[in-house]
Amino acid sequence: MHTPGSSAALSLRGLSKAYGQTLAVDRLDLDVPRGSFFGLVGPNGAGKTTTLSMATGLLRPDAGTVHVLGHDVWSDTVRAKQLVGILPDGLRLFDRLTGLQLICYSGLLRGMDRRVVTDRAHELLDALGLAEADGVLVVDYSAGMTKKISLACALIHAPRLLVLDEPFEAVDPISATTIRQILEGYAASGGTVILSSHVMDLVQRLCDRVAIVAAGQIRAEGTLDEVRSGMTLEERFVDLVGGQTDVGEGLAWLRSSSD
Amino acid sequence: MVALIVGLKWQLLRNGLRRSTPQLVGMIIAVLYGLGVLTVALSGLIALRFALPSDVARTVIIIGGSLVMLGWAILPVLAYGIDETLDPARFATFAVPRRQLVIGLLLSSLVSVPAAVMAILGLATVITWSRSLLAVVVAPVAAVVAVLTCVALGRVTSTASFAMSRRRRGKEALLFLMLLLSLGVGVAVSSIMKRASSPGLLPHLADVLGWTPLGLAWSAPADIVDGAIGSGLLRLALGLVFLVVMLVAWDSLLRAALENPRATAGAAPATRNTGLGWFGRLPPTPTGAVAARSIVSWRRDPRYVASVVLVLVLPLGLLLPALTGGDSAWTLAMAPVAGFMLGWSTHNDIAYDGTAFWGHVATGVSGRADRIGRLAPTAFAGSLLLPGYAAVSCVLIGRWSLWPALFGIGLGFLLTGFGVASVMSALRPYPVPGPGENPFGAPPGSSALTVLVQAVAGTAVFVLNLPLLGVGIGALMGNVWMGWLCLGLAVVLGSGALALGTWWGARLYERRAPELLADLSRIR
Repeated sequence: MHTPGSSAALSLRGLSKAYGQTLAVDRLDLDVPRGSFFGLVGPNGAGKTTTLSMATGLLRPDAGTVHVLGHDVWSDTVRAKQLVGILPDGLRLFDRLTGLQLICYSGLLRGMDRRVVTDRAHELLDALGLAEADGVLVVDYSAGMTKKISLACALIHAPRLLVLDEPFEAVDPISATTIRQILEGYAASGGTVILSSHVMDLVQRLCDRVAIVAAGQIRAEGTLDEVRSGMTLEERFVDLVGGQTDVGEGLAWLRSSSD
Repeated sequence: MVALIVGLKWQLLRNGLRRSTPQLVGMIIAVLYGLGVLTVALSGLIALRFALPSDVARTVIIIGGSLVMLGWAILPVLAYGIDETLDPARFATFAVPRRQLVIGLLLSSLVSVPAAVMAILGLATVITWSRSLLAVVVAPVAAVVAVLTCVALGRVTSTASFAMSRRRRGKEALLFLMLLLSLGVGVAVSSIMKRASSPGLLPHLADVLGWTPLGLAWSAPADIVDGAIGSGLLRLALGLVFLVVMLVAWDSLLRAALENPRATAGAAPATRNTGLGWFGRLPPTPTGAVAARSIVSWRRDPRYVASVVLVLVLPLGLLLPALTGGDSAWTLAMAPVAGFMLGWSTHNDIAYDGTAFWGHVATGVSGRADRIGRLAPTAFAGSLLLPGYAAVSCVLIGRWSLWPALFGIGLGFLLTGFGVASVMSALRPYPVPGPGENPFGAPPGSSALTVLVQAVAGTAVFVLNLPLLGVGIGALMGNVWMGWLCLGLAVVLGSGALALGTWWGARLYERRAPELLADLSRIR
């Protein structure tokens, strides 16, 4: 029997989630091909975080299925979770651990060997430019350092699929370049990346496939050029999602020149 | 501005309750309980006016009022935390004049069940004192001063303890202070108990308390009723001075929070810790990793200080009667009480993780590893404290033959507590202060929930250990062999409860991990 989307790295079918009366994700279907660098864009509240949480086993969907490389996340949980690395947005970390301890914790929780975990942790800290801060408590890290240490935690077990929710939010250009290089190297070696972002420019530069989400549904999906259809991604996005308000003559009191 | 701050508190309370069912349940319990207390105490205050002579009213109100004020000062730190919905640090970016902020925060503190109940009862003392015209004028003023002093005291002690718990040596200093304070209270109570039978003690005690800050405001109308108008007004003035001193103290603590708001969110200054620490010492398995992480949290996170205080201080309090020359039988309870307190203290452990718990969900760590690993810090503490406390009791009593029974009962409580905690913490987390927040704070409604859940957990542990207690009492009667039987039984029953509890807890965890994470993001 053919498992749905077994050729895809991530396959979502009829995924739905409601919070009370609000439908956050509405029968969403999505296939992320293996080896692709996939960008998920959408306005605030479009359901990106909810979708990615359900795709990684952090949030139970009301309906629908999720398969990671052919393994059902909600029945073959352990196997599926071994294949995925996650960087969630807006969730805390065990921030009383040092950077090194936090990475090792993620590895050890997955039952990895301590030698392997420590070696990889040091390599990751070096690559991310955190080697100096390995003994500092994560609570004392800056926003950019926190993103980088989260990425390290997502990579420690060499996952086949990386799910990153807003990996570039609050990250300075230098750290962003570091993160980008690591992700590009990971994708070039056959890994699959799916990330959500507000920064169209970045998605345009990094991703080879894009999906635009609004109101819990996919509005457009395909290769970057298919989705753009001749425009820039930003124009296409505004075009599809709409709702831009014209400020016009409002907020007159805000103009200090009127004094 | 003051009205705005009080309105903000009310709005936050309503919205918070709408968002979180556990908090709502806690609030309903708190309101019901508060109404109960209110009914009983109100009828008492009315009876004091109409059915009893005024000197009885004087004694009851001064002692009762002083106890209430003492409670406001120490309970937030020792047990329940204080409602800090309005974290002063959040006002840092708004240009609110500090004087107005202090008054606003003080009045907004009255928007909570315990404060409201106390405010109503405080004002009801006017009925009790309605024995002369002047008393009816003074009593409401005194009541307002007393009630505001209680609320201000609670904020001062909790803010000060928070400030201390963030300092490097502050945590130890805080522990020591708490120890000293509870010893002091213990000595006072035990010496009063010893003389309780002598007539005239309570009125005498009321006289003394009436001149301490705790009783000044409460005793002012009592003097007026007795005709001592001068001393009544003096007490009222002194009470007012004490309130102002508390407000100034709170204000200066607030200033620290407002001028350095990051300090509230952050922790101790950046320290370098090299190597893996506990992660390198414990077995390199998921269970070992969870254990190492728990131990690090207990050591570095100020929110665990309260638990440590309780576990260390309470059993030591049992030493008091013996040290003050009283009955040393109480010391027998040291090891059992420590085992009891330690055992189920992790019954809400997941709530302390907050949303950081996603790390456990994402890695798919087994329920067994999560359950057992979390017990490590308390197991470690128990393995040192229980045999030690049991030995201390034996030394004081002078009967080493009791050691196996005392240690056995403590061990039984500890292990069954572990079982109960393993199941309960996988059921449903209830709100606790977030990381970096005031560890002596408590979200509204959570205190009542805490009391309820802890009563359930405590009863479960107690009932499970009834057979053990029976044998233990047999050992106390002088049957030495029963002591060893008690220890053996504790090992067998305790391991059984532990195995069953962790097995059941692990099953629950594996079925409900995403739901637990959803609960955690809702209560935060």
